Amino acid sequence: MSYIEIKDLSFSYTKKRQILKNIGINIEKGEWIAILGHNGSGKSTLAKTIVGLLEPGAGSITVDGIKLDQDTLQSVRRKIGIVFQNPDNQFVGVTVRDDIAFGMENLCVPKAEMLERIEYFATKVGMEKFLDKEPASLSGGQKQRVAIAGILAMQTEIMIFDEATSMLDPYARGDLMEHIKKLHNEGLTIIMITHEIEEALLADRLVIMKDGAIFADGPKEELLKKPDLFQGSALELPFSLRLANQLTGAGFEEVRGYLWESAFRK
Amino acid sequence: MGIRFQEVSFHYPQNQLTYYQAIANITLDIESKNEFICLVGRTGSGKSTLAQHMNALLLPTSGTLEIFGTKITAKRDKKTNYNSLRKHVGLVFQFPEYQLFEETVEKDIMFGPLNFHTGIDEAKEIARETLKLVGLDESYLNRNPFNLSGGEKKRVAIAGILAFDPDILVLDEPTSGLDPRGKTQMMELFKEIQDKTGKSIIIITHDMDLVYEHASRVVVLYDGELIYDESPKALFKREGLEKYHLQYPSPIRVLKDLKERFDLDLDIYQRNLSDAVTALKRAVK
Repeated sequence: MSYIEIKDLSFSYTKKRQILKNIGINIEKGEWIAILGHNGSGKSTLAKTIVGLLEPGAGSITVDGIKLDQDTLQSVRRKIGIVFQNPDNQFVGVTVRDDIAFGMENLCVPKAEMLERIEYFATKVGMEKFLDKEPASLSGGQKQRVAIAGILAMQTEIMIFDEATSMLDPYARGDLMEHIKKLHNEGLTIIMITHEIEEALLADRLVIMKDGAIFADGPKEELLKKPDLFQGSALELPFSLRLANQLTGAGFEEVRGYLWESAFRK
Repeated sequence: MGIRFQEVSFHYPQNQLTYYQAIANITLDIESKNEFICLVGRTGSGKSTLAQHMNALLLPTSGTLEIFGTKITAKRDKKTNYNSLRKHVGLVFQFPEYQLFEETVEKDIMFGPLNFHTGIDEAKEIARETLKLVGLDESYLNRNPFNLSGGEKKRVAIAGILAFDPDILVLDEPTSGLDPRGKTQMMELFKEIQDKTGKSIIIITHDMDLVYEHASRVVVLYDGELIYDESPKALFKREGLEKYHLQYPSPIRVLKDLKERFDLDLDIYQRNLSDAVTALKRAVK
């Protein structure tokens, strides 16, 4: 049995339009997968069903052997942290410090440890100087970093990032990714929903969604060799690979090879 | 002249004794027609604060701000008609959810024109036309804006601003959260709007590929100060932009790497894929 098993999952808000259609994904413990797909392909809905924010119309979700339902909701949520695209949707605290503490308070983390973790994770996202500030005085990207610190501080076994870095500048994003890589090396299971192909390439495996269904699922090296998969689902290969794919013919083998190699360089 | 900033600063009050300076001594002129400006800078550099001055949603703490001939001062002035300024400069927020509120797309788009005293029939006609302009068909008119996807919501929010026909359109990260195809379509939409109407367009973004390919002018903020105001070509030829947390566009980064690795005689300053392919083919042969 896989660590996370999603089986024949379907969801719809209205009868007319099916948002998720027979989704099946198995994720192993410690795996890092990226979920890509066009706007409206069902990525965020899938994330919300995994943490039990939405109830599937059919199918099942099992996390670490626990089948998700009303009775097990709390114990499954303790295992999964989720960061959304818009940090305002998850802000609750009066100060940045309170806000980072909120998730831990719900998990009953002892006070002394909580204070330690607040400092530690605020530093990790570069917001340690802002601990006493009001969230309202922060910029969009800064709020996002605080939201991420709050979820990381809960030290859950699984993290879902739902386009969590789309508001960050490339450097803030790079710093955060470095930290996420470290957590992954320590065993964190990561589900990353993103439009940024460079970010997706940090994962081992790509899942491409299209119109509510799984369009492709496999190791990134395999999927990237099929540019049609990306074009057919409103996605784009990284610039270096798009360039490599245009360099057809003799004389370019070496450059092409180098471009492929550099696309996977982390 | 459209908008003129002269040594404008803005402080967010923290508590009674301290404040947080978001922008400092900004001097900037924006023409009322045909500008395509990208406003860039790391998170927290003051981009959104600057944008919110452009239609007087925020008033400067010090300095002079002039919007289409009206002087804006630190104190809210009863004689100033802020509403009429907003007819000149339309602002689209980062999250369209914040500006959509009606139960149908049609009502949402009509809100601006009705507020500026347009008749109902005319407002309906405007809603139809602007929706077409943003690439959505008439079937959307009766849909609930909150049931649309992120990209569709953004389009409706933009239509709502275009509906009152501002001269200058300011958009805060209009492409964030869109898939690559949506991003391309959105940029084409702005180009088309500008070609058809000559409106000035100002976009806040972190996407340097987009800046390099589309902007005619780029304004860089760092810690609330304006550090560069020039063409993207001039900006990206500068060395050491990393210290301002700016990334070079993908074509420059990838071509630079190839040039060094294979010791090529290659002009790395190519703005898009097809130009990069042409330059690279020439250099390798």
